[in-house]
Amino acid sequence: MIRSQKFWIAVCAVIFAVSVIACVIILTRPHGSKVIIKQDGRVVMTLDLDRESDRTVEFVYEGRKNVLEIKNGGVRMLSADCPDHVCVHTGWLRSGIPIVCLPNKLTVEFADSEEDAVAR
Amino acid sequence: MFERGSEMKKLLCIFAAAITFLFTGCASEPAKRSFFAMDTYITVTAYGDNAENAVKDSEQLVLSLEKLWSVTYPESEISKINTANGKAVKVSEKTAEIISFSKNMNAYTGGSLDISVYPLVKEWGFTGDSFHVPAQEKISELLSRVDAQSISVNENTVTLKKDMMIDLGAVAKGYACDLLAEQLKNSGVKSAIIDLGGNIRTVGKKTDGSLWKVGLRSPESDDLFGTLTLGEGAVATSGGYERYFEADGKRYCHIIDPETGCPAESGLLSVSVISPEGKLSDALSTALFVCGADKARELWKKLGGFDYIAVTDKHEVLVTSGAADVFELDVSCSDWKVTVVV
Repeated sequence: MIRSQKFWIAVCAVIFAVSVIACVIILTRPHGSKVIIKQDGRVVMTLDLDRESDRTVEFVYEGRKNVLEIKNGGVRMLSADCPDHVCVHTGWLRSGIPIVCLPNKLTVEFADSEEDAVAR
Repeated sequence: MFERGSEMKKLLCIFAAAITFLFTGCASEPAKRSFFAMDTYITVTAYGDNAENAVKDSEQLVLSLEKLWSVTYPESEISKINTANGKAVKVSEKTAEIISFSKNMNAYTGGSLDISVYPLVKEWGFTGDSFHVPAQEKISELLSRVDAQSISVNENTVTLKKDMMIDLGAVAKGYACDLLAEQLKNSGVKSAIIDLGGNIRTVGKKTDGSLWKVGLRSPESDDLFGTLTLGEGAVATSGGYERYFEADGKRYCHIIDPETGCPAESGLLSVSVISPEGKLSDALSTALFVCGADKARELWKKLGGFDYIAVTDKHEVLVTSGAADVFELDVSCSDWKVTVVV
């Protein structure tokens, strides 16, 4: 009897401990510097801005080109050969405001955000 | 006796552990879906049991709305209305509803919102890739065709006068947010946030019962100038900082003032409207951006049912009294002056 009781207490304690640890990990996970770049819905590149060296990266879509600049731990669209340049006007990437090039179906956004959304 | 008590303890123990376990599940796994539609980038994030299916259905719904309302898709209901040459066109209930709503908003805002301004939007090049400043005669000629009040919506038919054209750009995203929110709720989702190209619509509160934190994009930098804390509702922003072109050193934004036929120059850099409905927030953000600070205040007093946060070209932030408690200025803009509008 006593032994079985101990067994159950131990089982519960383990489940409880695992849950608490998972909670702590999930809730305190740092708002990272991980950037996800997608083209046409597919992830084409991920960046960890804490570790990237300064450079430019080109993305070509149906013959049209976007040039992404990575500099001093930031990232922005340097140029795009679409007419509206909304992605260039968006400026440096910040959490909650994705850089979007509609004609070339390119998106650049942080994996995590401090805000739930940004009205813009 | 002893045995029953221990059974109880066992059960309680398992129950407590299971609940804790469930909490970790809740905190970690929203269903999130991002896609391109309606000329923008959309992200729907939902929490709860059926969330995964619900966000998939969200994409389908938006794609179906795009087919109804796109001005570039020749088979859309809007294209049919625009090419009907004065004849009545049979449309879906949703299309009739949004056109009728837009017509009412045109009256309420004293003409600051007008969906029939589309020929001018086109002439300035904002629909395609040939931005240019049109000649004044051309502007005057096109302006004479702008007349939202002449649009006739009868049951499920819509009729425009010849040479008139409409475009739902100023209201469609907001209305789509409302339809998405409704569909998510019907699927059993109690907590969700929709980002339809910067038009934000929330469903319920966050899963932990706290309020949503919605940032407001600065019209002057890449950053935010403030944040809002919100329960269920809708926020839409209109500004001239993303879609614009420059000619002869002057910046022309994509929002056309239906009075002048030219890009709006009201002294406001951006206007964010908070209301219970996406379509109302969307329509009013455009209207207030066009009409400027003084008239915005008048409309707010007259119509009610919404609040706004406007940034002027002198870096003054105008916050209506109903939004003052939920708005917080970002530290990076601490030199901006906040004025509560009463």
